[in-house]
Amino acid sequence: MSSRLETDHLYKVFGRRQDEAVERLRRGADREELRADGTTAAVIDASFTVDPGQIFVVMGLSGSGKSTLLRMLNGLLEPTAGRVLFDGEDLTALGDRELREVRARKISMVFQHFALFPHRSVLENAGYGLAVQGVPRAEREQRATEALRLCGLAGWEKSWPDELSGGMQQRVGLARALATDADLLLMDESFSALDPLIRRDMQDQLLTLQQTLKKTIVFITHDLNEAMRLGDRIAVMRDGRIVQNGTAEDILVRPADDYVASFIQDVDRSRVLTASAVMDTDLRGDEADCDCATANPDTPFTELCAMSARLTHPVAVLDARRELVGVVPRRRLVGFLGDEHGEPTACGDPRDEGKVTARA
Amino acid sequence: MPRLHLGDWVDSGVDWLVTHLSWLFDAVKGVVEGMYDGIDAVLTAPEPLLLAGILAVLAWWLRGLVAGALGFAGFALIDSLDLWEEAMSTLSLVIVATVIALVISVPLGIWAARSKAVSATLRPVLDLLQTMPSMVLLIPAILFFGMGVPAGVIATLIFALAPGVRMTELGIRQVDPELVEAAEAFGTKPRDTLLRVQLPLALPTIMAGVNQVIMLGLSMVVIAGMVGTGGLGGSVNEAIGRLDIGLGFEAGLGIVVLAIYLDRMTGALGTRISPLGRRAAAKVRPTVWSHRPRPAVAVVGVVVLALVAGGMGVFGSNPGTAGASATDVGKGEEITIGYIPWDEGIASTYLWKELLEQRGFEVKTTQYAAAPLYTGLATGQIDFQTDSWLPTTHAEYWKKYGKQLDDLGKWYGPTSLELSVPSYMKDVNTLADLRARSAEFGGRITGIEPSAGMMGLLKDKVVKQYGLDGYRVVDGSTPAMLAELKRAYARKDPIVVTLWSPHWAYSEYDLKKLKDPEGAWGAGDGVHTLSRNGFAADHPEVGAWLKDFSMTERQLTGLEAQIQKSGKGREQDAVRTWLKDNPGLLDRWAPVDGAGEKSGAAG
Repeated sequence: MSSRLETDHLYKVFGRRQDEAVERLRRGADREELRADGTTAAVIDASFTVDPGQIFVVMGLSGSGKSTLLRMLNGLLEPTAGRVLFDGEDLTALGDRELREVRARKISMVFQHFALFPHRSVLENAGYGLAVQGVPRAEREQRATEALRLCGLAGWEKSWPDELSGGMQQRVGLARALATDADLLLMDESFSALDPLIRRDMQDQLLTLQQTLKKTIVFITHDLNEAMRLGDRIAVMRDGRIVQNGTAEDILVRPADDYVASFIQDVDRSRVLTASAVMDTDLRGDEADCDCATANPDTPFTELCAMSARLTHPVAVLDARRELVGVVPRRRLVGFLGDEHGEPTACGDPRDEGKVTARA
Repeated sequence: MPRLHLGDWVDSGVDWLVTHLSWLFDAVKGVVEGMYDGIDAVLTAPEPLLLAGILAVLAWWLRGLVAGALGFAGFALIDSLDLWEEAMSTLSLVIVATVIALVISVPLGIWAARSKAVSATLRPVLDLLQTMPSMVLLIPAILFFGMGVPAGVIATLIFALAPGVRMTELGIRQVDPELVEAAEAFGTKPRDTLLRVQLPLALPTIMAGVNQVIMLGLSMVVIAGMVGTGGLGGSVNEAIGRLDIGLGFEAGLGIVVLAIYLDRMTGALGTRISPLGRRAAAKVRPTVWSHRPRPAVAVVGVVVLALVAGGMGVFGSNPGTAGASATDVGKGEEITIGYIPWDEGIASTYLWKELLEQRGFEVKTTQYAAAPLYTGLATGQIDFQTDSWLPTTHAEYWKKYGKQLDDLGKWYGPTSLELSVPSYMKDVNTLADLRARSAEFGGRITGIEPSAGMMGLLKDKVVKQYGLDGYRVVDGSTPAMLAELKRAYARKDPIVVTLWSPHWAYSEYDLKKLKDPEGAWGAGDGVHTLSRNGFAADHPEVGAWLKDFSMTERQLTGLEAQIQKSGKGREQDAVRTWLKDNPGLLDRWAPVDGAGEKSGAAG
């Protein structure tokens, strides 16, 4: 059992002569050339795999093609070229009826603006997917109630969507997606329309739920902080192409190009980085011989700072077998915060060096 | 520019349709008539006030106590104006037209919402249907469906179709695309997406469309009245024809009551049946005035009233048909008489209605404009009409339809056509006197309908012969001409109008017929009875009676005066009174072998 979801050189082109446009893109034409001919390349050559239980975040600005990509994953949009493999099954080869069946049972979706049906109660909304499947009313209501409870909405079943706050409405949207027991959750900028505080709550709740439910989630966002918080893997999209696909640390520490680098400038590194990314692996071997506190590779950055402040020497990092794998000197912590990874340069001030160099 | 013979193509197209698709039109006609008769039978079965009660309970349930009370008052008003049957007939017509319009327009609207191509194709068609002058559509409708209700319903529904389609399309397009996407993302079938998401959410807009359909239908009722649908539209037309402002207002008021009732009820129904509307309504604090009974109570109320209504229909005094007698020649056979609301036409038509009913026929009288009347007669939908001016005035119609009509002879004559001026125009006595005075008359001769035979005669012959080139013959309508005459007469303004004798205007105003020494108007006409081909063979007795029928001027003016005195809606009562005052006429005009004898076996 390898990947749950895999895309294989996906293309989506809107407009005239789509096949020809794909051919040109394969030969290296870019978006602008095609746009002159009246065709829009929304997604270009997207290939990635998502493992079971993973949160895969697709990050990009508006117009980067991330929403189009998401809609090809459940067949709402048909790819112009390429394949989508879900549990080894090629979704692009399915007919309408089978595709609907897959959407009803195995893939569910959470929307940016909640997309709750205003003419149905909260309970009916949560049970909508089950109603489509033809689940009998009693079972449907029981499962919908359970899904609402998981999302923290117990007691709100009889309310109507317009009586709830934005955050609560999106909880209903989440409950609707969870109620069908789908393996794959597609979340399209699901938290973007919420206030920052509510957004954090929802992110926390999603992570908490994920610990027990272990769904496979593809999450679309334009917010890199959100991507870093949620994503086991992050794909950064630009102009229809995936420009980098890696873990949060990969992107933060080893940005693939200037575009990604410019993106991560505003990211709060202290929330993302762990000891394994910061530590110096150039070791003498005796750094952990004292009785001082030690870190492990997953220790968050903020905790490292706290430890470093209590110690006179660099923090030692031990792995699960208590083997020394690295050290974190204080200067390195400061360097990461300021995005400065080079060695310090010498200074002419006599305070720093004993020697005096005369200057004019 | 080469002349495009579009009109000819349309003509031949219509002809082709009439000859080749008559089975289809007959089927449509059957359905429409069946629906109309059914609904009308239900609506006219109970006592008027009882039905008003039922409608009031509906209003109470849908909108509240005030609406219920006002609804009852409105319908009671209609009843007290003696317009109940007409109102119910109009209501039935509007209901049938609305139902059919919705059956067509909602699916079309859905289709248009789902396909841009369909939407783009439909739009100009809808524009055409909605803006093409309705009379233009009415005449083909008569050719296809015949006179009366079906043609009226079709014309009404064509006119009312557009908002139904447009509002349905708009409503569905307005549904948030994200909701539709959500439905699809959960694997909803397209049909269920439509039924469970799009339609419920589009319902308020669609109901606004329904409302528009009904309102347009009601506004079309008057025009439909010209093709013999009867009802309030017929009353309005009749009132216009007779320049009877009072009756016109009453019938118009009836239409307004129906319109307001239907408007409020469909609006409330939209709130009731749309889930969003129900939610909004539930939020409003109830007051005594907006109190509404629970649906169960309302249903019980309606059922009880309906049962009472039905019971009264069963046990009530049903005027039993008198047993067959020797004078019962007709034995319930149906005869249809058409008439143009001209005084001699009304008088003779109701006279014959009474005579024939006395002889055991079922007689239906319906009023039309001249062109539809001849069309209906030629296609055999009307049995006969008594008001054809031949050989001159109606020569055009005779030329066109003569072969399909039988002339049952002249019953009154001679008539005359003339230009008339008020007698205060001292020095104008002959047509020749007009020539030099065009400035005084403003260069206008106030005419009537351009389709009227005498207008053709006036423009082609009279004007030339007397050198009246300084005048413009103003087309209009008979009521407009009479109104203009009345206005000018009151202010003693100069006016010259087209008029004919016999006409009540001569007794109403002091008018002078301009002499026609050159005989340009031709010798006077006779008023003829025309029937459809073969009517006399189908009903030999009636044919014989009509052929022998004649009236003297004293009789005709006497009857007309009696009808004028009795007032609108009581024409037949006036005829009865008049017959009572002139005994023996029944047996003279409709003689029966051995009338009054016991053993009068039909020969």
